Amino acid sequence: MLNYNENSPVDDFKCGNNYFLLFTCLVFFSGISSSYADTEDNLKVSGFARVVMGYLDDKNAEYLGYDNSISLDQESLIGLQLDYQVVDTLAVTGQVIGHTGAQRDSGIEWLYLTYHPTKALKFKLGRQRTPFLNYSDVIDVGYAYPWATLPQQTYPRHFFSTFDGLMANYEISNNEFVLNIEGYWGGFKDKVVVAERIMEAETTDFRGLISNLAYQNWTFRASYHQGRTSVDLDDVVQFSGLLGQLGFTQSAESLATVGSTEVYQLSVNFENIDYFVRTEFNRIQADFVFVPDSDNYFVSAGYNYLPFSTYISYSQNKTQYEPAATDIPIGINSQLDIIAFSYQEIFNQLPIDSSEAFTIGTRWDLKAGLALKGEISQLNGANSDRAFFTVNDPSFDRKAILYLVALEWVF
Amino acid sequence: MKYLLYFIALLGFSSWHASGANGIVVVANTQDTSITLSRQEVRNLFMGSSLSYGLKAVALPPDNQTRVMFNTKVVGLTESRIQSYWAQMRFTGRKTPPKQVANEKSVLTYLKNNQGAVGYLPANTVIPKSLTVIYTSQ
Repeated sequence: MLNYNENSPVDDFKCGNNYFLLFTCLVFFSGISSSYADTEDNLKVSGFARVVMGYLDDKNAEYLGYDNSISLDQESLIGLQLDYQVVDTLAVTGQVIGHTGAQRDSGIEWLYLTYHPTKALKFKLGRQRTPFLNYSDVIDVGYAYPWATLPQQTYPRHFFSTFDGLMANYEISNNEFVLNIEGYWGGFKDKVVVAERIMEAETTDFRGLISNLAYQNWTFRASYHQGRTSVDLDDVVQFSGLLGQLGFTQSAESLATVGSTEVYQLSVNFENIDYFVRTEFNRIQADFVFVPDSDNYFVSAGYNYLPFSTYISYSQNKTQYEPAATDIPIGINSQLDIIAFSYQEIFNQLPIDSSEAFTIGTRWDLKAGLALKGEISQLNGANSDRAFFTVNDPSFDRKAILYLVALEWVF
Repeated sequence: MKYLLYFIALLGFSSWHASGANGIVVVANTQDTSITLSRQEVRNLFMGSSLSYGLKAVALPPDNQTRVMFNTKVVGLTESRIQSYWAQMRFTGRKTPPKQVANEKSVLTYLKNNQGAVGYLPANTVIPKSLTVIYTSQ
């Protein structure tokens, strides 16, 4: 279930690492009027684009791909969405995204049918974005949220994906509140990066339930998701088999490459004309070795003074792996010592991403559909952890400041 | 002291002026003339939720002053936040924003010609008899 789209099977729309193409895309789509272009009555064309410029103030590490040179190609992207209303109750939606980031694939994010039997009930069938967290399915639409980038501590980039399946949505609305309940079921197969290794992963019986309640100026979202994932790691499977044959069953079982992952999420937002407070918590629990358990949250408060809003945020995540088994004796003979050492080495190499970030930023709404954001984040992690950094020098203290400027556009 | 009195008088005048010209009415083309909505229901309707009355919202452009008043008095959100909300709804396939027309005159014309349509207008607008006021802002 934990996924990092290293190479999607669908790869037919690619801006790649190409500023020129991104620029061309932007110029081309700027010809479309600022909101919703109706090319025909039943066909709606819309889209979004973002150019994100980032700089990390430390030469010893990288964070989200940013290093101590100014770069534009980590999170910049362009997306295009087509909605075609076939009949009153049936529509087709397709969305393609072109990323500049090398770690994100371009291609079809969405391709689904929507069936609307009543005003309150809706079904979507096809390829859709997984709605794990509040902003999971709009993580690429930066205009939809106040921050320049969603906090990595709560929205880790390896976590998001599309799935193929069925989603149902039911809405209850009265003069007090609006309640939306969503349920989905499906699966996906993709290459993933777990514990810094690229591997094939298949998630089956992937399902979730999401409730979203809007009451006056409050919005509450609670959700639960689970799936059964198997990762393709032949060397680990063989080693686990060997440990099992030798009778070290605890060690063998601790190297399971198949298991279920669960995600719990809760978010509360309050907003009015003058200010907003947003907070979100999620817990990820997995019962196989390469996916750690983690508790992640952020709290953010902002003040609106048109056309600006300024915010402060704090986000934190705590990551923990299941402890290694201890049923392989040490010191009896050298062969057993080698096996014990090899077993321990697997656990020693698992990266721990526990970290925190303090962020201050401002969003400037230049006009409807166009916003400019500036953001500074102080990132802190323990010296022994990876803390989402790519460490170039082992002496790096896991403390750095990330500067981001983002231009966000929807049309 | 004299300046303070002037200031208070100006303040008083400006608030009186505001209450006279800054009201909002929500008007519908509906056969059921007994419909009245609460502020929350109007908010829900213009934020895309389905209502049992079968009404369909029509909105003014983002820079329109009547829309700014409606955002402030009824929706209770900034235009920026409303635009962000619609970006999230549209690009998650959940809801689509209300149809948008150019100005207050176009709202009246659209309402008159479309059964079930509902729009907001300044409180001092002369409302044709064929339309029903279903909400008046305080």
